[in-house]
Amino acid sequence: MGLTVFRRVTQVSAIAFIIAIPLLSRDGITFLAGNLYSLAIGPVTVADPLIGFQVIISTLSFEKTLLLSMIIPLCLALVFGKVFCSWICPQNTISEYIDFLSRKTGMRRLFLMPVTAKPRYVILMVLFLLTPLAGFPLAAILSAPGIISLQPVRYVYEGAAGLELGLIGAIVLAEMLFARRLWCNYVCPIGSFLGIFRLGMTLKVVHRGDKPQPCMKCLECVKACQLGLNPMGGKIYPLCHNCGDCVAACERMNGPAKPLSFRFSRNA
Amino acid sequence: MNMLSASILFTLEAMRDRNLLRPPGTGPEHLFISRCIRCARCVEVCPYGSIKIARLLDGLSATGTPVIKPRGMPCYLCMKCPAVCPSGALDRRVRSRREVRMGIAQVKKQDCLAWQNTICRSCYQSCPIFDEAITLDGALRPVVDEKKCVGCGICEHVCPVEPSAITVKSGGRRWG
Repeated sequence: MGLTVFRRVTQVSAIAFIIAIPLLSRDGITFLAGNLYSLAIGPVTVADPLIGFQVIISTLSFEKTLLLSMIIPLCLALVFGKVFCSWICPQNTISEYIDFLSRKTGMRRLFLMPVTAKPRYVILMVLFLLTPLAGFPLAAILSAPGIISLQPVRYVYEGAAGLELGLIGAIVLAEMLFARRLWCNYVCPIGSFLGIFRLGMTLKVVHRGDKPQPCMKCLECVKACQLGLNPMGGKIYPLCHNCGDCVAACERMNGPAKPLSFRFSRNA
Repeated sequence: MNMLSASILFTLEAMRDRNLLRPPGTGPEHLFISRCIRCARCVEVCPYGSIKIARLLDGLSATGTPVIKPRGMPCYLCMKCPAVCPSGALDRRVRSRREVRMGIAQVKKQDCLAWQNTICRSCYQSCPIFDEAITLDGALRPVVDEKKCVGCGICEHVCPVEPSAITVKSGGRRWG
């Protein structure tokens, strides 16, 4: 099974789980409980690290459960990079699909923006400054994956979706009309925060143009990149989600001795 | 920083009294709102469907937080929700129902049947802190003991008067 197929299966199962968990919880099966704000897998709890961090900086209290539940997502980011975004996040799945449709229909957006990490980190800093003033974790109302995963819960327990779904609608419209992958590339604070947690050994896409097989500059990886990055040029982090689409495209063109590959080590 | 945010929130809170009743284990509203990560785990674990998710119309800072509308469904104090709260917004040290301080019930004497000389003991009989949080005075009229009342809202739920003659004023106090 190719990497791309494997990722699609994971993305679809993530959405299936988001819908199934509240239904199962209502029927008393609670081994898996929660949503993408906070998930409980048996006795292990996982919570959104950005929202958790905002709770800590705005209350200056260190709740043990909250700190423990932030460990798993942060370790995942430290080892594999922002794989939450590319493999699990339902907003990314939706955005990828919109991008796919736009490319297929040849729809043009109003703006063609260079992909840069600056705006998103400005937004994250502003959020950090505003959170203690607002007195509540602002990231919670801006968490697209959280909002999407909360809707099945709302539907199962209250019979209706919430107005906050409007944010998702706005993202979808903006990505169709204004700029490609607007939310994931320039705004999403959840992704920005995960992107901070990178070390030298964190999984990365490495381009080796000379050996073992010379890069023939076919640009398949650039075409395959869901975010519009150039994997051949390097400097794709912290934006790259490690989705592996470029590596898979490279393998299709060049076979297993491809110039693009995933590496853990600092030196390629 | 916390004091500053608390003061700003208090100002906003004073401008609009939302009276949102929170699940068991909550302290003062401004602390709750800064600790809650809006994950709705308490909503999922509540066996009575008492806990609802606050909507955008309840206020931006309250969106996604758990809220109880006792006239619809009160809290039966099963104490399952503090145990699943991942952020400490619901204090999991609150285990017994007597430690809960969600709010205080208030009797509207001009509406209450017993206070208007009709026999009714609905709230008194259904109170889970029986004969302590709500007691009957010499004329068999309900009186709320603010020190004992946990604010579960069962009295508001069972009151035969429409709208309820006994209502819970939210506002977690420090329990104990």
